[in-house]
Amino acid sequence: MNGLVVNCRGVTRIYSDDAVPVQALRGVDFGVRTGEFVSLSGPSGSGKSTLLNIIGGLDRPTAGSVEVDGVDLGTLSESQLSDLRLRKMGFVFQAYNLIPVLSALENVEFIMQLQGVPAAQRHERAQRMLSELGIGDLLDRRPGELSGGQQQRVAIARAIVTNPVLLLADEPSANLDSATTEDLLQTLRHLNELHGVTIITATHDPMVMQIARRQVKLRDGAIVEDSAALDASAAGA
Amino acid sequence: MPVRLLLQLSRRNLLRHRRRTFMLLLAISVAVSGVTFMNSLIRGFQHDMREAVVVNMTGDIKVLAPGYRDDPSIENSFVLADGWAPDLPVDLVDGWAARIKVPAVILSERETRGIQLVGVDPASERISFIGSVSYAGEPLASPEDARLLVGKALAEQLQTAVGRRLVIMTQGSDGLNREAGFRIAGIYDADGTGLEKAFVFTGVSALQRLLDAKVVTEVSIRLREEGSSAAEGFSARGRLMDYFTGLDVLRWQELEPQAAAMFAFADSAIFIWFLIMMGALIFGLVNTLITSVMERVREFGMLRALGMRPGSVVVQVVLESTLVMALGVLIGLGIGSLLVGWLADGIDLSAWAEGVELAGMRSLLVPRLLPGDLLLVALMSLVFGVLASLYPAWRAVKVKPLEALRR
Ligand SMILES: Nc1ncnc2c1ncn2[C@@H]1O[C@H](COP(=O)(O)OP(=O)(O)OP(=O)(O)O)[C@@H](O)[C@H]1O
Ligand SMILES: [Mg+2]
Repeated sequence: MNGLVVNCRGVTRIYSDDAVPVQALRGVDFGVRTGEFVSLSGPSGSGKSTLLNIIGGLDRPTAGSVEVDGVDLGTLSESQLSDLRLRKMGFVFQAYNLIPVLSALENVEFIMQLQGVPAAQRHERAQRMLSELGIGDLLDRRPGELSGGQQQRVAIARAIVTNPVLLLADEPSANLDSATTEDLLQTLRHLNELHGVTIITATHDPMVMQIARRQVKLRDGAIVEDSAALDASAAGA
Repeated sequence: MPVRLLLQLSRRNLLRHRRRTFMLLLAISVAVSGVTFMNSLIRGFQHDMREAVVVNMTGDIKVLAPGYRDDPSIENSFVLADGWAPDLPVDLVDGWAARIKVPAVILSERETRGIQLVGVDPASERISFIGSVSYAGEPLASPEDARLLVGKALAEQLQTAVGRRLVIMTQGSDGLNREAGFRIAGIYDADGTGLEKAFVFTGVSALQRLLDAKVVTEVSIRLREEGSSAAEGFSARGRLMDYFTGLDVLRWQELEPQAAAMFAFADSAIFIWFLIMMGALIFGLVNTLITSVMERVREFGMLRALGMRPGSVVVQVVLESTLVMALGVLIGLGIGSLLVGWLADGIDLSAWAEGVELAGMRSLLVPRLLPGDLLLVALMSLVFGVLASLYPAWRAVKVKPLEALRR
């Protein structure tokens, strides 16, 4: 292995459902090492979400290859992709996407339940994670009874409680006020620095960009700037 | 597959839309209780019809001389050995009766009628209707009893009464006519006037003497109710065929093809009725399920994005449908059974009694609940519940996680 959790080679994505095909990604080469905290940024429509979704196995590239944790996603069936998402990825979406009929605690337990973690262990881990994120007293509330920031924290707890190889967050702060965003960012930084979780975010939010250690900028479906490359060249100089 | 999780999600989703779930339950339980009740009426009708056929003179199985069905006369008769007894399990057979049944003309001072003259051993006739009718006068005393039992309707036609004499004309075994006077021992009152007009009874030995032949024309065998299922009927028939070689051994279905056809039709009526009710119900169920799936497209997309397998999504929708169906079926069977219990004394059909009585049936219809029918309705409903959810489940699993999340 080359030490990369994520390895994209020549990833192209063309949306051809409309009359005029849209080229969302144009041959992107992109690698992420274990423990990195990467921010994808760029103008609206530059392809951030598309890249994130392809890395997450939610979308397939029109051309090029994607490896996650050494597995070539192109070789996997839908069910195998489901399993990969279940076991290796954590997702945080812009709209928190909790399951409305489950309580906060049950939402956090959900993925572990799919994974077959025994009930007692599941319960204990979910409870600990929610307490760690500061909402240990809201375990029995359903999503409809939680504020936006609280829901986002439940979503993060759900995404990381299983120790995924990779945490993908698309506009995690889009629906949050700046104080809540600050909390969220502390949480992400904490996860990254103390637990070594590899994080990739796609965002417009300067607060989120600043906290990431590596900045990647996209424009028109291509990477136009990558701070890791700068670091490398700086180190080389 | 995380079955418990899926069950939990299905249950909670049903509870989330209480009103919708309640309407579904209502529709299912009304349909199921309707089917259950209707089934019990059809079964009651079927039971009465079989009883009518079997109890009148036919029996479950009859032994006849080969030509008797074409020409029911004394010429087509057979001899029973003394102490005859076919090898049939006692728990299968309720009883049997050997009879002579021949066409005859009966004359009073005023009227003449054509009838079936039946020579019987009164002791063995508890298996036929004549064993349980009510009398004016008295029943026959023995096979030697040379008096007559006449139906009430026939007695009215002949304008005669108990104790009076009637003349009977019939053909003897030698082909010559016999004529003799008989006194009326009793006038019986059967369920239908059809029977009363058709059958006149006398002692079998007395009739044998009149006809000059120590023969019978039929042996009628009545099986116990539990033993009257098709399979046991066939096995009993097989043994009887071995015993009565050279004679016709026929089940009631062969002897009374019309009644048997009605009986079979009632069987299919149960299915047809079920299909009609379920058809209407399934239409509504599919619609409701599709609505509920379409409302939750985002949710299904998210479940898939988080790593739930396509198969689990299908199972979740199927479970939802099956859960409602199972609960509705339970309630429906409960209501249906209560309804049947409430009408256990029977439904009075005397308004239509004439037609019913002609068919030799009682004018009181008692609904009958068969456990097998209940089980069948329950199982088929569940099967329909699963079938109804397949298309909605397919719609749910077709949801692409990404597209759903973009909404
Ligand atoms: N499902 C789709 N069908 C057609 N075109 C699409 C689809 N998804 C994205 N696109 C197009 O692909 C391009 C890249 O979209 P993408 O969502 O990746 O951009 P983004 O950088 O995430 O933008 P934003 O900052 O607004 O979220 C855009 O031009 C968008 O219109
Ligand atoms: Mg985006």
